[in-house]
Amino acid sequence: MIEVEGLTKRFGATTAVDDVSFRVEDGEVLALVGTSGCGKSTTLRMLNRLIDPTEGTVRIDGRDIMQVPLEELRLGIGYVIQGVGLFPHWTVARNIATVPRLMRWDRARIDARVRELLELFQLDPAEFGDKYPAQLSGGQQQRVGVARAMAAEPSVLLMDEPFGALDPVTRAHLQDEFEAIQRRLGTTVILVTHDMDEAFKLADRIAVMDTGRILQIGRSELLLREPQEGFVRQFVGLDDRALRILSLHGVAEIATPHKVEGWEVLDGAVVDQASGRRILPLAPSDTLREAASRIIWEGADSLPLVEAGMLVGAVRAEDVWRVGRRA
Amino acid sequence: MRRGRAIGLLIAAVLFLALALQPQLFAPLLALLNDPGQQIIYDRQPLAMLVLWHVAVVAAAETAAVITAVALGILVTRNRGGDLMTLARTISNLGQTFPPIAVLAVTVPIVGFGFEPTFIALYAYGLLPVFENTVAGLRGLPPATLEAARGMGMSKPAILRQVELPLAAPVILAGIRISTIINIGTATIGSTVGAKGLGEVIIAGLQAGNQAFIAQGAILVALLAIIVDGAFRLFER
Ligand SMILES: Nc1ncnc2c1ncn2[C@@H]1O[C@H](COP(=O)(O)OP(=O)(O)OP(=O)(O)O)[C@@H](O)[C@H]1O
Ligand SMILES: [Mg+2]
Repeated sequence: MIEVEGLTKRFGATTAVDDVSFRVEDGEVLALVGTSGCGKSTTLRMLNRLIDPTEGTVRIDGRDIMQVPLEELRLGIGYVIQGVGLFPHWTVARNIATVPRLMRWDRARIDARVRELLELFQLDPAEFGDKYPAQLSGGQQQRVGVARAMAAEPSVLLMDEPFGALDPVTRAHLQDEFEAIQRRLGTTVILVTHDMDEAFKLADRIAVMDTGRILQIGRSELLLREPQEGFVRQFVGLDDRALRILSLHGVAEIATPHKVEGWEVLDGAVVDQASGRRILPLAPSDTLREAASRIIWEGADSLPLVEAGMLVGAVRAEDVWRVGRRA
Repeated sequence: MRRGRAIGLLIAAVLFLALALQPQLFAPLLALLNDPGQQIIYDRQPLAMLVLWHVAVVAAAETAAVITAVALGILVTRNRGGDLMTLARTISNLGQTFPPIAVLAVTVPIVGFGFEPTFIALYAYGLLPVFENTVAGLRGLPPATLEAARGMGMSKPAILRQVELPLAAPVILAGIRISTIINIGTATIGSTVGAKGLGEVIIAGLQAGNQAFIAQGAILVALLAIIVDGAFRLFER
């Protein structure tokens, strides 16, 4: 658990971070969002003491970080730096091995871990392990940066715009991978991003910052349903808030498991018996946003939900609309 | 490119060794510079011996200068404090602005003739390029890389050894190269205070009006500088 209280950082006359307090539970993902220069990176860097605060305290698992030996503190906190910052004179494998080596893992364990991480982040170990950072694309470097931060399975992970330089497809894939790893390990994460979609996708809670202050912090859905007047309202974006709310829910939440009439599973696809049309079914991992989009596209009142090739229920349009509707 | 450089280096090395070890081979060529009857090959000391002395004094002074200048460069870049920086810069600047010949004049009465005053003059003269390049190399590192090193939990000595010095090495090496080749030339003045070296051949030539002496001494010094420069450049990549 990370507890931040009254954290303030002044650089001369400018107050980069102004009396910020929040708390992140074990295994939780908090997104820190806000416009450029609002103090996100500065906040993050005070948590691993790359910057010492002017005022305020930070406690990690109950311990004041000022009381923890510096190197010990940092070895326990994964850090994905804005701008990646790979070591240019080391290979990809050596970069990822940085923290395990500092922790004096044995060679075999380090090699196995490096290979595992490269595969996880879709970089072929045989091809990329021995390359130097300059030989990688920007997106590949970013992936190595995230892998390096996660190498020793830290219980706390600080990520400063980790997926910025990626195309939407790769980014979505990595976000999924990251989410799966994070859930599996129960890592506590603070994620800095400009990208609201990323924040909604990965975070349990979101803190909106402006000029050094946290204006509003809360569960993602709360931020959408009850954004504070002014900056937060503008930053969160209200035009597609219904769709964003839908994206926070999975189809399994509202699927009706009754025996569904009128559909038939034929060679993996679902056929609507009345019209004879093939319908792409929903899967349990789909969000309600995806369901809404398909419902509109198919012009249907409901869509079949298929799991492992079996028709297991239906998602009704009216139920989807209800989830996205104002309270 | 690299191959061309290696070949050039090889040719310079062959010429250099031939001239140092078998100067007689070049006698017909050098004779063209002199009046008939004048001595052509310097023989008060074997040229190879003088080369060794020349290399020895440069190597000794340069080693001491590199150790001092790199240590100073590391020291002044450790914190943002500017005082130490100014002091170190003044000292190394002084070494460079003070002409080596003047250093000889000042040191000879204190340490006597020969190797020592030459060593001191070359040491002082060699500091600045190494110091400046060490500082530039260490200051010029990408901030994101250093932040990553700190953020990962590396200790300060580990960051210096594993990240900063390796990344700054090409710039520091370039400083050492420049400093060394300057001193290979400058070392010739050591002969004015009785240090053994190639300067002796040139000075003898100047005193006796012997163009062949001047040529063989100057060519050996020039080839030595070219070889050392080329060797450093090969090593720098
Ligand atoms: N070392 C420093 N010295 C002086 N001012 C600084 C320093 N670091 C940051 N600042 C200032 O503090 C403010 C917040 O900077 P910070 O890097 O935290 O912003 P950010 O929210 O991460 O922005 P971005 O999204 O562009 O990365 C900025 O006004 C910046 O100029
Ligand atoms: Mg930032």
